Amino acid sequence: MQPTSVQLSVKNIRKAFAGKNGEVQVLEDLSFNINERDFVSIIGPSGCGKTTIFNIIAGLLEPDSGTINFRGEEIESLRGRVGYMMQKDLLFPWRTVLGNVMLGLETRGVDPGKAVDRARTYLQQFGLSGFENAYPKMLSGGMRQRVALIRTLIMDPDILLLDEPFSALDYQTRLYLEGVLKEAVETYNKTVILVTHDIDEAVALSKRVVVLSGRPARVKTVHDIEIDARSPIAARSDNRFSGYFHALCAELDIQTEAKTEAQTEATS
Amino acid sequence: MTLAMPNSTTKTKRKTRRSRRRPVFDTTLGRAALQALAVIVFFALWELGVRVGWISSFLVGSPSGIFSLAYKMTMSGDLLSDTWYTLFEAILGFVIGTILGSLIGLALWYSAFVARLVEPFIIAINSVPKIAFAPIIILWFGTGLVSKVALSVSLTAIVALIAAYQAAKDADTDLQSLMVSMGATKHQIFYKAVVPSTLPSIIATFRINIGFGLVGAVVGEFISSQRGLGHMIYSASSLYDLNSVWVGLFTLMIMGFILYYVIDIIERAMLPWKLLTTSHQLQV
Repeated sequence: MQPTSVQLSVKNIRKAFAGKNGEVQVLEDLSFNINERDFVSIIGPSGCGKTTIFNIIAGLLEPDSGTINFRGEEIESLRGRVGYMMQKDLLFPWRTVLGNVMLGLETRGVDPGKAVDRARTYLQQFGLSGFENAYPKMLSGGMRQRVALIRTLIMDPDILLLDEPFSALDYQTRLYLEGVLKEAVETYNKTVILVTHDIDEAVALSKRVVVLSGRPARVKTVHDIEIDARSPIAARSDNRFSGYFHALCAELDIQTEAKTEAQTEATS
Repeated sequence: MTLAMPNSTTKTKRKTRRSRRRPVFDTTLGRAALQALAVIVFFALWELGVRVGWISSFLVGSPSGIFSLAYKMTMSGDLLSDTWYTLFEAILGFVIGTILGSLIGLALWYSAFVARLVEPFIIAINSVPKIAFAPIIILWFGTGLVSKVALSVSLTAIVALIAAYQAAKDADTDLQSLMVSMGATKHQIFYKAVVPSTLPSIIATFRINIGFGLVGAVVGEFISSQRGLGHMIYSASSLYDLNSVWVGLFTLMIMGFILYYVIDIIERAMLPWKLLTTSHQLQV
């Protein structure tokens, strides 16, 4: 194994939002490192601020305090250098598949001829040639998310931020797209941060899993996943898989969650 | 019992589907035939009523009189020149007003501050019946073509402005966030995310505005004009020449009808991605 070096380092990030009953501290002193060519999954209780972290890294939100370092250099955000993919595919309905894939290249001012060539190459690679002139409405959910993935990858981003990208899809399509993602990430040597609520998906895909505590979010533990499987499906049949799965379940305190919910119900 | 349940539901489903089968006349040709029949029956009853003496031809005119007059006026070229004049005013007013209004409405997206500042003024202007401006507009712009176009513009611009502004405000912020994360500029977000998403609303206002364009032209002609359908209707009614009034009204109706379908064609050409859903509508 080659030595790993830190690519992205998030330090002491704080962020609060104005809520109904005063300020809500969403992130408090959050720090973590992402290595070069890492595949990190972030899991945590729902509403713990996972999307907020992404929005700060992508430059959609400004943190109240804290720093972001990219390859040793302090930066404001990775705006323009990240590939952000969300649960909704966010394809532009008025653009064809080809037009959607080219969106980022257009904003970057790439020569249109070159952009079209590149888009066609990517579409072919992902088995979508022949659909260039189709509108998103005509595609299935899985195909739409594949187009969104191509749109993300074609920009050649430094880091992929994937915010529950497959959670709206059925299980079969999800398994298939996990494979597509893993393969693409390896082909294009990308670093990935994946936010998911699916422990199974996190173990099958990642090199490391970061477990966050509930609001305000803090890093609870980081698990290294040492499954060296070729595909996410193969990873699921690895004999260490269920060990990691149960460890993470325990880490998330799923029973305690249920108890607190019951308590709040009783009091209200 | 539980096993029998699904069976019975499929049976009822089939039954309802059968009862939903379209009637024989529910085809394009069938509907056209029924519509034509309704028009013919309407005119026939009207003509009959006048001939028998149930209704006074002096107050309502008569279909035979209307048709022969329409024929005469078409042959002399008067009807065509009046129609053309009114149509020209209406379309010119529609185009200028809609473009102007849409541009201002979209531009307001750029600055939330300016938008909030001018919002009450827009509402104030919109709440005045614009037709009330007609006498002033005639005073300012004279009795010719310009005043009719100006009246049409005043009617159409505000509708387009409000629709465009509202649509730009409602444009999907997730798409805009995505573009921000890609490093797009505000300008790029405007042209690539906001403007295209407002197009359906803007085109929807075309249908309303084409009618307002005609209103502006005709009312302008009522007040002061030497030409156009509005002038023709107004002067004929002051002479109790009801058949001429009807010729003018029916011409306006046909004009509006055709314009509506022209807008339909424009919509199809501009929003190819929207059409996909209209093909399979929910059957209730």
